[in-house]
Amino acid sequence: MTTKRYEGCSRRRFGLPALAAPWMILAAPATALAQTDSPTVAPANAEPQSSSVAETPYDPWHAANRPVFAVSMEVDKGVIAPVAHGYRRILPAPVRKSVRSAIDNLGEPGTVLNDLAQGHPSRAGVATARFAINSTVGLLGLFDVASRMNLPYHESDFGQTLGRWGAQPGPYIYVPIVGPSNLRDGLGRIVDAFTDPVSLLTGGVTTTLGAIRFTATTVDARVGADSAFRALKDATDPYATARSAYTQRRTAVVQLATGEAEVLPDFEPAPTAPSANTAPSPNPTAVPN
Amino acid sequence: MHSQPRRRALQLLLPILLGALGGAPSALAQEAGARAREPQAEQFVQAAAQRVVSVLADRGLSLAQKEATFHQAINELADVPKITNFVLGKYARTITPAQRQQFATAFRTYAEGVYQKRINDYRGEKLTVTGSVVRKPGDVVVNTTISGGQLDQPVAVAWRVLGAQGSWKVVDVQFKGVWLAITQQQDFVSTIDNAKGDIGVLIAQLQRDAQRPSASR
Repeated sequence: MTTKRYEGCSRRRFGLPALAAPWMILAAPATALAQTDSPTVAPANAEPQSSSVAETPYDPWHAANRPVFAVSMEVDKGVIAPVAHGYRRILPAPVRKSVRSAIDNLGEPGTVLNDLAQGHPSRAGVATARFAINSTVGLLGLFDVASRMNLPYHESDFGQTLGRWGAQPGPYIYVPIVGPSNLRDGLGRIVDAFTDPVSLLTGGVTTTLGAIRFTATTVDARVGADSAFRALKDATDPYATARSAYTQRRTAVVQLATGEAEVLPDFEPAPTAPSANTAPSPNPTAVPN
Repeated sequence: MHSQPRRRALQLLLPILLGALGGAPSALAQEAGARAREPQAEQFVQAAAQRVVSVLADRGLSLAQKEATFHQAINELADVPKITNFVLGKYARTITPAQRQQFATAFRTYAEGVYQKRINDYRGEKLTVTGSVVRKPGDVVVNTTISGGQLDQPVAVAWRVLGAQGSWKVVDVQFKGVWLAITQQQDFVSTIDNAKGDIGVLIAQLQRDAQRPSASR
């Protein structure tokens, strides 16, 4: 088994909103992985040799990524976060829930395409049924009626589809304002944007509907990411923390499509007494990143 | 009156329609359920993790009481020494005994503050074990959902549990595909890397952060 990098992930959205709906570091709705019951974890019989050190995400462009991250966080603090918090204050929770349901509903056709491309026709069937039910009985997607019929929501994206067929994530990229990505998943989002059936039918962001969808998706995603943003504030290195979380999540998303087991590091027993091999030397393996 | 049977009919019909499309909607759940389970680890998580969730959800406790009870509940739930060692990553091998002791104290204070807040974000009341997967003997991932309280829908949380008969401890927790201890390790290792391998810089930063009055908002 090849060693898998902890890849990244985003709460991707189809259509042009996919390009905006951003910072989704940890922003995925609880449902995105929830309904799958963590199937990414499996018996470790095929695991490579154990290690207590998790693999660092591949980040050859960190010299460019770090400043972009820093500036993006400032823009978030000054502009995007206040808008998202205002949205949350003004609109009552049921309204916000309906907005999210409607956004999710418009993403279903794109999910169907990717489910099929991944060779998961039953999942495509669920997304198709959800779209049909929620668009009609659910009043244009404002109410997620399908979830109550044992048709839980899931997302599939083209980065995941590429990963399903063996594509590695490639270099980590922090896209200005938009957030963490990597070569594979960034490309995936662009493909998703251009192949989104809803956008193809109704027009992209230049239309009124497209612009509303784009804005709503962006604001909703930032609200969803709020606890992740707060968690970043507690990190000793927020850049590395965002990169780690994004990469792990993308790995989990791809493993949902492949059904492969997650590679996890080992936890070794802590040394009990002062041990002999603790020479107080500067560490030669330190690599600033 | 009429809607009830109609809905039931729809519920019966849908899986058949979907089945014709290629499979049952709960295929994923079945995949997960087919693997070996570990009832003892599940029972441990049910009891010990429920205690942590309950402490955080308990509005009757003062902040000081909550912190003390949380500290105790973490001791019962988690293998603190193992986690403390793990989050140092490659530096666990080079840290001096004196630094290790300093780090352990600083990390414990920092982590309790941070995770108390973070778990508060997912404040729910009831923890339900949905299954478990034996990765290898003594290494189990227990899947749970946390619901009720302020959550409008259940949140899936996985607990990595190490141990054997009667003696289990949690070493890592996963939300939304992200393992907290792994993330913490990559955060700390990067901080030490950026300080050219000086672990003292991380320790000082943790001590400083712990002094900050709640950085939750």
